[in-house]
Amino acid sequence: MTIGAEIAVRMGEIAVSGNPADVLVSLGLGSCIGLAVVDQRHGIAGLAHIMLPEALAGDGPIGKFADRAVPELVERTTALGASRPMLKAVLVGGAQMFALDSSGALDIGARNDTAVREALRKERITVVAAETGGAKGRTIRVVPGGAVLSKEAGGAEIVLMQGVRA
Amino acid sequence: MSTFTTMQLDALRELANIGSGTAGTALSQMLGRSVDISVPNAFVLPLGQAVEAVGPPEQEVTGVAIPLAGDMDAVVLLVFPVEDAATLAGMLGVEAGTEDAVSALSEIGNILSASYIGSLGAMTGLELDLTPPQTVTDMLAAIVATVLASRAAGTDTALILDSELRVEGEQCSLSFLLLPEAGGVREILSRMGVEA
Repeated sequence: MTIGAEIAVRMGEIAVSGNPADVLVSLGLGSCIGLAVVDQRHGIAGLAHIMLPEALAGDGPIGKFADRAVPELVERTTALGASRPMLKAVLVGGAQMFALDSSGALDIGARNDTAVREALRKERITVVAAETGGAKGRTIRVVPGGAVLSKEAGGAEIVLMQGVRA
Repeated sequence: MSTFTTMQLDALRELANIGSGTAGTALSQMLGRSVDISVPNAFVLPLGQAVEAVGPPEQEVTGVAIPLAGDMDAVVLLVFPVEDAATLAGMLGVEAGTEDAVSALSEIGNILSASYIGSLGAMTGLELDLTPPQTVTDMLAAIVATVLASRAAGTDTALILDSELRVEGEQCSLSFLLLPEAGGVREILSRMGVEA
């Protein structure tokens, strides 16, 4: 029996794990995207809590912008032993809770969704499940054994990716 | 990463103190009850930690977001725990969870923000206007993170001015947050004569 931990992945952060007893979690995603990449065969997963589509200037946390977070997430999971062709992606979040953008551009949630998918395409990683858009906040939980779960505010937890072992 | 001196944080806290005092008076007049106001907190935190500083991430709350227009880019956010939102709706004679309750809470948001922002404007000389309130019930983290993300393109830290108002004799409190964009904070500080 391996001792696991619940690892909180907060705004702009990335975490990876190969411990089947760990759970990577981002609580209360609004317009942010929780992006999980999972190699089920090797039991390795990573989670990025992405805030915005693309980096404009400066550095900032590596997980903040989709264009920088996605390659970094792939890099860290493969560095831990994941096989790149085995990586599958699951997206959760990207809701439009408010219309707050002062520039009048499209809502951040939808732009985040598009930017993350575009960055995944460049990395040639398939999106196998997604729970994005709408107006409700969500929590994502990722188990390195392969399971990815999503829970909407006031809703039940749903399984977006089955774990390999029950 | 932007940081503030103790003197600057004190100035911001004082601003929040006066703003929430005015807002508390407005709430008290509306309800005909006493309202207690906490000493405000001024947090400057990395974005990742800012959400947790406000409260438990998955707590179900009603948030009223009011973006400001004018000399400073900021969002005012009122956060009510759902039970407290229901109590408040009851005090105003509307049924919790209905459209009427949503408009009543939005209107409270409007009135309190107008008082808060009015005193902030008077102290700093900034011309500030409220835009219409947007009210949602959801997880605390989702609401706060979404508001922060809308102003986060150019900054990795959040300044949160957090005051708590409590209606005396009722289980009813709300948090009043002012989340300015980085340029907005500099503007406030320079108007108060405590720029870096």
